[in-house]
Amino acid sequence: MPTSALEDSLGPPSPSHKKIGSRRRSSANSMMSFDEAHPKYVPPWTTPYIIGIGGPSGSGKTSVASKIVSMMNVPWTVLISLDNFYKPLSTEERQKAFKSEYDFDEPAAIDLDLAYQCISNLKNGRKTDIPIYSFVNHNRVPGKTIPIYGASVIVLEGIYGLYDQRLLDLMDIKIYVHADLDICLARRLSRDIVSRGRDLHGCIDQWERFVKPNAEKYVKPTMKNADAIIPSMGENTTAVTLLVDHIKSKLDIKSEQHIKELNRLCELSIGHRYVTFSKNPKITELPKSNTINALLTGILDKETDRDSFVFFVDRLAMILLTTSLHSVPFHIQETMETGSNYTMHNVVACEFDKVSSVSLIRSGDCFMTSIRKTIPSISIGKLLIQSDSQTGEPQLHGEFLPHNIDKYKKTLVLQGQIITGSSTLMAIQVLLDYGVRAENITIVTFFATEIGLKRIINAFGNKVEIVVADIVMNDEMKHGNSKWAATRFIDANYFGCK
Amino acid sequence: MSTEPFKNVSLLPQTNQLVGLYTIIRDKKTARPDFIFYSDRIIRLLVEEGLNHLPVEKKDVSTETNEVFSGVGFLGKICGVSIVRAGESMEQGLRDCCRSVRIGKILIQRDEETALPKLFYEKLPEDIADRYVFLLDPMLATGGSAIMATDVLIKRGVKPERIFFLNLICSKEGIDNYHAAFPEVRIVTGALDQGLNEQKYLVPGLGDFGDRYYCI
Repeated sequence: MPTSALEDSLGPPSPSHKKIGSRRRSSANSMMSFDEAHPKYVPPWTTPYIIGIGGPSGSGKTSVASKIVSMMNVPWTVLISLDNFYKPLSTEERQKAFKSEYDFDEPAAIDLDLAYQCISNLKNGRKTDIPIYSFVNHNRVPGKTIPIYGASVIVLEGIYGLYDQRLLDLMDIKIYVHADLDICLARRLSRDIVSRGRDLHGCIDQWERFVKPNAEKYVKPTMKNADAIIPSMGENTTAVTLLVDHIKSKLDIKSEQHIKELNRLCELSIGHRYVTFSKNPKITELPKSNTINALLTGILDKETDRDSFVFFVDRLAMILLTTSLHSVPFHIQETMETGSNYTMHNVVACEFDKVSSVSLIRSGDCFMTSIRKTIPSISIGKLLIQSDSQTGEPQLHGEFLPHNIDKYKKTLVLQGQIITGSSTLMAIQVLLDYGVRAENITIVTFFATEIGLKRIINAFGNKVEIVVADIVMNDEMKHGNSKWAATRFIDANYFGCK
Repeated sequence: MSTEPFKNVSLLPQTNQLVGLYTIIRDKKTARPDFIFYSDRIIRLLVEEGLNHLPVEKKDVSTETNEVFSGVGFLGKICGVSIVRAGESMEQGLRDCCRSVRIGKILIQRDEETALPKLFYEKLPEDIADRYVFLLDPMLATGGSAIMATDVLIKRGVKPERIFFLNLICSKEGIDNYHAAFPEVRIVTGALDQGLNEQKYLVPGLGDFGDRYYCI
């Protein structure tokens, strides 16, 4: 390796493995901006909790960062290293770098503008792409980035973690990892020589020419920006534990707020226009024809065998999908010649290829058989949203969406049942964050509760379309015989894994 | 002159989607794989609409939460009868909704000498007289063969009000001819075409359905 002494900049070989942490995310970090007149759902990944970690090379930032991440144990924590933001080098600079003569340890070597842009995007709940830097070529790996979306906790770590004022302003807590420079040197030497097989002279040369002067000049002064200074050597567990407890208490408050505001979204009386679902043009409940009634009966009957259950669900899914596609995007084609050689004018040409779909794992997968029979080549995205077993707070654990999902004219969101509606809210928010317009979203579901529907209507200003086979009202659930609507039975029975 | 608005005709709602599906199957440039796929989609809608007209009875079932759900169950038995060959294309659509449905067949062809339809073959379920019958033939042009097929059914004891005639496209003339013979049979269709040309083909039509579905 030519840049033998660049400990901090070398980092792990592939940042995606270690630096970008667990790709799960939670609402632990949640907040809800709320406005009576315009209620709005604010997902937990808007205003994520940002932890900044700085300190000289070899001080042990990475180990402190990993300690924090593992002790926090919050899903969807992302660890970002500033090493990813090294500036691409010019040919001349690259030559210098290969001879170990380029100064990687001064702040100018890092593209702090880009770092700010990325972190600021994340802070606003938007998707962002973290560049990948190759220390072999001293350039960004072209066409490759690490997409990050929806983090609830972000740990930003690097020697200049606490250097840039704009980044400091985005951080919720700033930590400086302190170690005497002779200790830093010792650690660097042992690591570079023992683990990375470099020679002593090169390391010491690098240290004296670049690392130490920069540490004195630029890194040390950033200590004053820190909220907490952590000793690097030996036992710093107590210090880290204190910090983690503090951060956790902040996250708990956000989490409680998220749940509270989710509850408010359904209590809030919805605007008069939307009070009656049947008069709401955005909500389509299948007319209770003989077929629909018979299918619902078969699906709800506990005596129905699995074969028949799957059959009934598939049939109902087909009807729901067809209904949701009544408003399929189309254009008018001027002329068309029929198979019997007559020319027709101004015919409707459906744009089935402008429709995409997103299935909410697992219940949305009950639609998979039917959707392939409706639009065989449709793009199908998947979202995994699960509720916290203790608080019931929804958490987004994974998102796999069609490329350019915002370019489609209609996106069907498939979900077996809407009960509390909170996972639906989250799914819609993910799509909005990806640039999909609320007007282009259609939720397709078998059963929906009144509460769930009201939440969705409230949160997105009645813009999202909903197609549902059967709506269960609050009264029916409280006083009637419809407690079944609060249990997730569709996918459990359909897939036969309860 | 037709007798619009027709009695006993269920025309599927003319949504953009449905009209667009018809655009695809009418278009002479549509190749067979797409023709089959989109025809099947329309057929599925026709079958669902037809099933909607079957009588139901109240049926209380117990849910997994041990609550009573007051639902319905279908009454009576059904069977399909397809007019060979084009009508057979609609059998799968019926099976997709009624898994083990019995299906009878009737072969009617134009007699070369008289130019009139002639019955060549029939094979129907024994107990067809007790069943609701879905008569399957994709195109209703003049109604000649459909009338003959219905006649066969009635001679076997099927009640006309228990017959549903499912087709993808029909002409107004065809409906009137057919209903003049069997006013009580419900016609379920997705498109009403302007009329017939001199060769008695539907206009604008889609060509020969059987050929496009099976051969071309």
